[in-house]
Amino acid sequence: MNPIVSCTLLITLGLGTTITFASSHWFLAWMGLEINTLAILPLMAQYHHPRATEATLKYFLTQATAASTLLFATTTNAWLNGQWDIQHMTHPLPITLFTIALALKIGLAPPTIWLPEVLQGLDLITGLIMSTWQKLAPFALLLQIYPANSTLLIMLGLTSTLIGGWGGLNQTQLRKILAYSSIAHLGWMILVLQFSPALTLLTLFMYIIMTFSTFLVFHLNNATNINTLATTWAKTPALTALTPLLLLSLGGLPPLSGFMPKWLILQELAKQDLALTATLAALTALLSLYFYLRLSYALALTMFPNNPTGTPPWRLQSPQIVYPLALSITATLTLLPLTPTITALMTP
Amino acid sequence: MSLPRITRLPSVRLLSSIYQHQQPLLPSISALTVPRRTVTQNEYRRPGQPKEDKWPWQNINFGLSKGLEGIKKHFTLLKKEFSDTWVGPEGKPIIDHMLEQNRVVFEFRNPEALESWTVSSDREIGGQSEAYLKLGKYNTCFFYGTLSSAPPKDGETRYSGYCTMRSKQMLASFDRKQHYDWTTFNTLHLRVRGDGRPWMITVGAETYFAHQKDDMYCYFLYTRGGPYWQDVKIPFSKFFLSHRGRIQDDQHPLWLDKVNTIGFTLGDKADGPFQLEIDYIGVCKDYAHTEEFAYEVYKRNPEV
Repeated sequence: MNPIVSCTLLITLGLGTTITFASSHWFLAWMGLEINTLAILPLMAQYHHPRATEATLKYFLTQATAASTLLFATTTNAWLNGQWDIQHMTHPLPITLFTIALALKIGLAPPTIWLPEVLQGLDLITGLIMSTWQKLAPFALLLQIYPANSTLLIMLGLTSTLIGGWGGLNQTQLRKILAYSSIAHLGWMILVLQFSPALTLLTLFMYIIMTFSTFLVFHLNNATNINTLATTWAKTPALTALTPLLLLSLGGLPPLSGFMPKWLILQELAKQDLALTATLAALTALLSLYFYLRLSYALALTMFPNNPTGTPPWRLQSPQIVYPLALSITATLTLLPLTPTITALMTP
Repeated sequence: MSLPRITRLPSVRLLSSIYQHQQPLLPSISALTVPRRTVTQNEYRRPGQPKEDKWPWQNINFGLSKGLEGIKKHFTLLKKEFSDTWVGPEGKPIIDHMLEQNRVVFEFRNPEALESWTVSSDREIGGQSEAYLKLGKYNTCFFYGTLSSAPPKDGETRYSGYCTMRSKQMLASFDRKQHYDWTTFNTLHLRVRGDGRPWMITVGAETYFAHQKDDMYCYFLYTRGGPYWQDVKIPFSKFFLSHRGRIQDDQHPLWLDKVNTIGFTLGDKADGPFQLEIDYIGVCKDYAHTEEFAYEVYKRNPEV
């Protein structure tokens, strides 16, 4: 794509999210979300492949449905409450509609059927933008409108963790695995939204760092399925040693950073007398852990058959910029000791 | 168990063919017995299309035994799908999936294997080619027939002469589409014995939009003829995109994660008998083949 065009689209993407962040009027928030959707569509469809076009269309239809539901909820809220302010919402009907619309937008279960197919049709960098940046704006709104005592959020959360775990179990395509991983993480974020929005923000932040690292690792190795991952030991041995740790961090194992949000969420749920919810969430995390472990197994615990007739790749210096990956992997693996600081910063 | 056929009155039809000028009177009689063709299909019947004398619902078998068989078949498939996920992706443990370098996709060892293939020729548009599929002498797939490039006499078709065999869409439980996932492989491996004619191998991937329905990824298969078997290995990067037989300008590689069908077409304008014997069709991973796509796409509006 022409660099000016892709620059414009990326800036517009940033603009959309910023508008939503900065808005206190629902209309402006909706506009920011629409700008985001429209800006990412050409980025998704830039490769003239039918699967990319299919992914773009599915994404557009889902996001348009969610945005129209959001607009409907906005007008209902204005009608019932008499004002357009985001933060002063009291009536349960618009709040529920907003939650459902934003759940569809970010890809929470049950309306999550689009996310694996869309991500599978995209290249890894656009998939990264979709998985990380596109979640920021809807969460900015969710953090402001969450209802207290809502079983809807808990049901959305548990369903997402369950579907994210089950769905990813027998995938061999890495992008679909990351889609289901995304669904599961979003479930964890939504679970604790009504009790501690700061924890949701922390989980989102950690998820973005971990997913960013994972996507970049796969992009560096040009890997889109498990069998390609199995050959990365020959291409990038140091990264192949770190990637299982990265995947286990995604799975939430101590002493890696990914454990921090899960631990704090389970603690919060236990404090709120939701021991059963906490247990179910922890059990569904095991399902996700299974496919992360399977990826680690394929990556680092198996020596791929050495085929003498195969051409091993030349180990040249990679032309890709790896500093962001280096930083994000460091953050993914080593932030757990900072938990007391982060907890102190979270409490007002 | 089929519904009882509506009794025809042959004399009425005979009268209608002989006494053309009495046509307005006769349809009112024939409507009681046989539905008129104009009711069940379009006014103009293309040469080659069979006469449609039944109402559409008369072609469906509503029997109880068929229903019970269907329930049993679909629930067995559903149960298998659930139990396969316990084992691993595609029903195999992950280590098998990772170690797999060759896979035989179609092997013609029994007559049931032929049921997943469909044969067609230009007879459907009114041409005169014939194509048949049978099990060969040594349990192989034997595709034979006669090619005739005489165009049908309908006034609009100018060229004709093709015969094709194509695999049917794989179905999961409850007739849902299932796709082949060949991402771990990069080469198509066939063992064929032809008659020296050039064939076209067509791979059909899953499409989403209606206008992509006839998108096919094609490559040539030059058979050697003669008694010896021929091992053909075609990398998937060589397949080019065509739509309704026309090669497209905007080419892209075939994505192997959702392959639906594979087919063989003969259309070399050489009238006469043909035969193609296929021992097996498989996919394999050639580590030495690192090409992603064999064709360059040029800028359509270059800056000058």
